[in-house]
Amino acid sequence: MLWRSLGIAIFLITWEVASLVVASKLILPGPIPVLQAFLDMCQKLPFWLSVGGSFLRVLEAFLLSVVLGILTGSLSGMLPRFRAALSPVMTGIRATPVLALILLAMFWFPSSQVPVFSAVLMAFPIMHTGAEIGVQATDEKLLQMSKLYAVPFSTIVWKLRIPSAMPHLLSGAKNTLGISWKVIVAGEVLSQPRFALGTGMQEARLSLETPSVFAWALMTIALCGLTEYLFGILIRRPVRALPPSAKRPLAARSAS
Amino acid sequence: MSYAVRDLAKSFGSLQVLEHIDFSFQESSIIAILGPSGCGKTTILNLVSGIVELDSGTLEGFAGKRFSYCFQEPRLLDWLTVEENMRYALASRLRIEPEKAATLSRIDRFLEEAGLAEFASYMPRELSGGMRKRLALARAFASPSDLLLLDEAFSEVDLKQRMDLMRTFLGLWSDEKPTTIIVTHDIHDALYLAHRIFVMSQRPSRIVGSLAIDIPHEERFFSSDAMARHEMELYRLLGFTRQE
Repeated sequence: MLWRSLGIAIFLITWEVASLVVASKLILPGPIPVLQAFLDMCQKLPFWLSVGGSFLRVLEAFLLSVVLGILTGSLSGMLPRFRAALSPVMTGIRATPVLALILLAMFWFPSSQVPVFSAVLMAFPIMHTGAEIGVQATDEKLLQMSKLYAVPFSTIVWKLRIPSAMPHLLSGAKNTLGISWKVIVAGEVLSQPRFALGTGMQEARLSLETPSVFAWALMTIALCGLTEYLFGILIRRPVRALPPSAKRPLAARSAS
Repeated sequence: MSYAVRDLAKSFGSLQVLEHIDFSFQESSIIAILGPSGCGKTTILNLVSGIVELDSGTLEGFAGKRFSYCFQEPRLLDWLTVEENMRYALASRLRIEPEKAATLSRIDRFLEEAGLAEFASYMPRELSGGMRKRLALARAFASPSDLLLLDEAFSEVDLKQRMDLMRTFLGLWSDEKPTTIIVTHDIHDALYLAHRIFVMSQRPSRIVGSLAIDIPHEERFFSSDAMARHEMELYRLLGFTRQE
């Protein structure tokens, strides 16, 4: 905790010093004007409507990515032919620049859905990979034991395959949530839907209100951190039930 | 009812593991397959249980039989409790409503006999190595089967735990006397438990001899002239002879 506080303090001091050196509120406002702009925005209803709008889009994109990723990832993990057929598509999606995707989506979808579509395409491959690795993570020796004792298929899925895959699914879901926030806000900046953090950010930029741009960005970071924290609380119970060896992938992802 | 393995052979790639393996045994007996590490003992269990396909030879009496397998390592689901691990292995029987109550009481009985009843709600990682092996034994016995296969089930624990494990095994076995094949590299496991011991050579392995032990189990744990003679005979079959 002490080292975290020290890190934040060093960051704020560096920011303040840099803003003093630049000496232009338009280019780099210091932390205090940004905080002032942030507090001003918090008192306005449209700001909270924007927060709610973006939050719902992130939730929609996150849930769609998780469902789609688990579905395709599980099939890929179990069926080598499906994996081979899907591989070029996944490579194509992963290699597509996010901005190109948002611009294309603007031709196809209403402005409120452009960020969601873009976020799903960017985030679901992460969940897909987590589910694919998760399915393959099941211990072959335990599967052999299950076969020998004639354990029913559904019991193997619920009691063996899903718990074995759980650390990879959870770390995939956590990363999916983070990337969803980034892509949703980027999509909102370009597609300008009503009630969106990205729209507010873009309008502040056009009005040359740099402290407000920083304040909108600050809110995005805070929301992303908050949802990841809440997700962490939500998964605490299933993670606690996992054996120490199974928690390793989660710990590794958190560290990175 | 008897079981027989005739002229069994198995190779993995260019590595010939087993050749001309022949042995037979009676129902409700315990046989031990004794041999040096890496000679293909586990492969024999995998072949008779159908986990691995044989290259040539015949298996008589094994078709359609149900197997319980106590693996070298306990193979427990670490995220399930002791009792849940037992229920997992017997899940197919627990689904049949008329058999459910009997299966649950069977689980309780074997946990009790293995000395694990009070640890039923423990996670496997909370048990000692010996207790984990006892749980694997209880699971194998509780699962109704025609043939019980034990792969080095008494190894990798200290002497006290090993003796406890063997007594647990004999206690569980005496209930229903399932036909049992034990593979081991340890002469004493075979001597204390088996009715007949088959001795294997180095790879490519064959059965080089067999030995019947007709001493009651309860007398085997205490040294006797007969046990010493059997032990010497096994050493001879394994190729250890007194230096001149």
